[in-house]
Amino acid sequence: MKISIEHLLAVLLTAMWAAGAYAASQSEEEELALAYGDKSFVTIASGSQQPIARAPSVATVITAEDIKAIGAADLDEVLETVPGLHVARSPLGYNPIYTIRGISTQYNPQVLMLVNGIPITGVYVGDRSQIWAGMPVENVARIEVIRGPGSALYGADAFSGVINIITKTAADIDGTQLGLRAGSFNSRDAWVQHGGTWGSFDAAAYLRVGHTDGQHQIIAADAVTPTPFPSLAPGPVNLGYDAIDGRIDLARDKWRLRAGYQQRSNAKTGAGVASALDPKGSNFGERISTDLTYQDTNFAPDLDVTVQASYFYITEQSDLTLYPPGYAGFPDGVVGNPYKWERHLRFNLSAAYTGLQQHKLRFGAGTQNDDLYRIRDTNNYTLPPLGTVQDVTDIAPFIRPHSRRVNYVYAQDEWAFIRDWYLTAGVRQDHYSDFGNTVNPRLALVWETAYDLTSKLLYGRAFRPPSFAELYNINNPVALGNPNLKPETNESVELAFAWQATSSLQANLNLFRYQMKDILRFVQNPDTSYTAQNAGRQHGQGMEVELVWDAAANLRLSGNYAQQHSIDETTSQDAGNAPRHHVYARADWRFVPHWILNTQLNYVADRKREPSDTRPPVADYHTVDLTLRSKNQNSDWAVAFKVLNLFNADAREPSPSPGLIPNDLPLAPREWRFELSHQL
Amino acid sequence: MANAPTFLPGMPAFIRHAGSKCRLASLISGAALLFLAALAITSPARAAGDGVLAVIYPDIGEPYRGIFEKIIEGIEDKAGATGANYPVSDDTDIAGLKDSLRHQNVGVVIALGRQGMKTAMALGDGIKVVVGGVLTVPENEAPEIPVISLSPDPALLFARMKALKPGTKRVFVVYNPSFNGWLIKLAKDAASVQGLELVAYEARDLRSAVRYYEEIFAAAEGRSDVLWLPQDPTTVEENSILPLVLQKSWNQSIAVFSSNVSHVRRGVLFSLYPDNAGLGRSLAGLAQGILVSGEYGKRGMMPLRDVQSAGNLRTAKHLGISQQSFDMTLPEQ
Repeated sequence: MKISIEHLLAVLLTAMWAAGAYAASQSEEEELALAYGDKSFVTIASGSQQPIARAPSVATVITAEDIKAIGAADLDEVLETVPGLHVARSPLGYNPIYTIRGISTQYNPQVLMLVNGIPITGVYVGDRSQIWAGMPVENVARIEVIRGPGSALYGADAFSGVINIITKTAADIDGTQLGLRAGSFNSRDAWVQHGGTWGSFDAAAYLRVGHTDGQHQIIAADAVTPTPFPSLAPGPVNLGYDAIDGRIDLARDKWRLRAGYQQRSNAKTGAGVASALDPKGSNFGERISTDLTYQDTNFAPDLDVTVQASYFYITEQSDLTLYPPGYAGFPDGVVGNPYKWERHLRFNLSAAYTGLQQHKLRFGAGTQNDDLYRIRDTNNYTLPPLGTVQDVTDIAPFIRPHSRRVNYVYAQDEWAFIRDWYLTAGVRQDHYSDFGNTVNPRLALVWETAYDLTSKLLYGRAFRPPSFAELYNINNPVALGNPNLKPETNESVELAFAWQATSSLQANLNLFRYQMKDILRFVQNPDTSYTAQNAGRQHGQGMEVELVWDAAANLRLSGNYAQQHSIDETTSQDAGNAPRHHVYARADWRFVPHWILNTQLNYVADRKREPSDTRPPVADYHTVDLTLRSKNQNSDWAVAFKVLNLFNADAREPSPSPGLIPNDLPLAPREWRFELSHQL
Repeated sequence: MANAPTFLPGMPAFIRHAGSKCRLASLISGAALLFLAALAITSPARAAGDGVLAVIYPDIGEPYRGIFEKIIEGIEDKAGATGANYPVSDDTDIAGLKDSLRHQNVGVVIALGRQGMKTAMALGDGIKVVVGGVLTVPENEAPEIPVISLSPDPALLFARMKALKPGTKRVFVVYNPSFNGWLIKLAKDAASVQGLELVAYEARDLRSAVRYYEEIFAAAEGRSDVLWLPQDPTTVEENSILPLVLQKSWNQSIAVFSSNVSHVRRGVLFSLYPDNAGLGRSLAGLAQGILVSGEYGKRGMMPLRDVQSAGNLRTAKHLGISQQSFDMTLPEQ
């Protein structure tokens, strides 16, 4: 009993000491806030770079501080917090499907992902590589997410949205940081990053190695289950991988040279490429990027000029067992080993001119070459005797090498035509060597309605070019290419309001409607094969509400609600798979000095099936995550502890129509993660 | 000049010196330091001009801690490495700190922040003090010592305002004399030098401040009149006065500038905010002067002259101001 009282006393004294110290530092902070602004402002003001306003849009900017606050280790954890964006999963490697405003497809080429403004799009299916296995965020300075069409500036694939990942420069890192992370499912990561000077260069470097076994939730039934052949279901999903990520950034004067390397090896197959569990299957992927950029903000009076050359290399090498041993006369299973190699060269020139009184002009031109220059295909199902793995690269591959050239020009003007009214008009023409021209305009009317309110009316048109798989696939009866395709398009109208309600409350409201035409789909032929066609239309509408409230000096509450309703026009049914309602709420509470508790709630609701899918709707789910983070400024050590899916919710993402995996794709159960980092 | 650092292998546990973390090392070095301090106390007093600089700053969390680190970088840039930098709190052992400073032959302490100043004042008369990183100091709290305020020099604010809007004739301000009396004296001189009329209203509470702002907006004229918001929690209260000022100034197209940089995000035209490294260099310059002469030169409150600018492009456009050269611009998009 005595020990208990002493213990209690010690705890109380510690708490009183902490509270006293906190109160003292609060008054100091209040004084500093009068000169430097509040905490969030100091963080903004000390950032080395401001986002560049390129065109009026509905955008969300997530800073490195935000990323740290929510304890995110991967890009997808960050993107799930963006209003109107939900990260669903594909059976194929559990690759992310960034569902923006109701537009959801399996390969997800309708979202353009950029790293430092340069696309990381592969040309085979138009996605970000089929061997993805995550993207770490320690080296990310900022993520900008633009919802709605952006092809007038960004060109191809800026269709439902654009995700631009800005990596850290030497100034952002400022010193050397070492980090370690360990968590559930035997997940381990180690990284080092350095920012400083190297001779006359500002130099930044980053290296990360990681491994996970991945979560092992059970797939109860798969594509083989209803057949007479042996299925591996029930069995666990396969999500392990090894990862290496590296990045270098050298800058001097007006020049910047960047290079990035990502390797994924032993990457498992998720729920199976053919929706049949494949624990043996393994993938290897590499992405190498480099760019040389010259920017002169004062090239001539009022003229800012940027010239950029970039190179991007992707290889995807898959060794798959599409169906398990014993399937339809294949004692070793149906084996397919597609390999492919791509390289992309880009060159562009852009300029911004501000010399006219009421106009801001931006114009640019560029060229790029997308080259699927090599493939290799070995399998045991194309040539007799069936069941023997043979090289069919030259005889009957899934695709042959192809390349395309794209040339483009664009222009944009922001015209201040009456006080507080701005009209931005832009147009871009892209010429593709395979399907011809596409022209995409953008109009934005911005009204600075009051000192605390901005209103925007936006119109934009976007395109998504047919991928090489859609144009040139051969020998794959369920996905045959068609060289006579044209791009699918999306037109959207948005009405957006940004309201600084009080000094501590910011509110945004966005309303949107969109119309997709010439949707690219694989359509069934009179026989049982499928060929890519421009077939179908989809429209939708919805809204997003965002709130950020600094409830107290040590408590910030924020969140958003997104609602959408999308209709497939062929069937007049819901387009499917995207949540009609999505709620995200977050609290950041600095409960004692140097310790921050972050709580997140994510509620995903009302996901209908695709029109051809007769299963009942996907069950709603909500998950709660907790992150406890410290930065002990006296020692340069930082620790973070995170629990994801605290209440162990049964969260599932929809498997695609017609439901070969009938019970959908289970997400991870409760998991924990511990992170330690040291600043030298 | 004898300002080279005199580093010891560790620090006693009562002072958490950045980089010294091992408890055992701290205990051993603490014991050694006490011994050396005892020796120092019994030694003859050192002559003026023979000391080094030390910095005392608040033991405070991020992001504000980073501000003090930048100021210290500026100090070290100007003066070379200092004797030691001490994060201090209410729990700091003043006697132990004093001994440590004496032992290191510290001639001048640069005290940063409210906590740094409070600790430095408690050190007594033996060590000279230069203060920075505070807004204002009541005269009875810090008599006869030099203090560089975090309040930007009104002369710089007015010059920037005139550059943005050359037609400016009158500057209105509502201030609480207990916070900004010293600054308004300087502002009146600065205004007349630049051909401006400073119309200053004295308000000691929120209610009278609101009344004065209403008077100002009734009388002000967009072409020639501007409004200055000083750093003042009474007359520039964030939740009631600031929205009122922002709304009326927007509707009447009256330019507002502020000494609080976060107001730029809310919608004031511009602000000047501390260039932390520059402030550090200025503090070091003052301290070095004292070390050399052994005497205080300038004393009392001095406004901040090491500044950077922040501007709100949205408000600038609304006011028809095309000159937009600021170190930082808001809103971000």
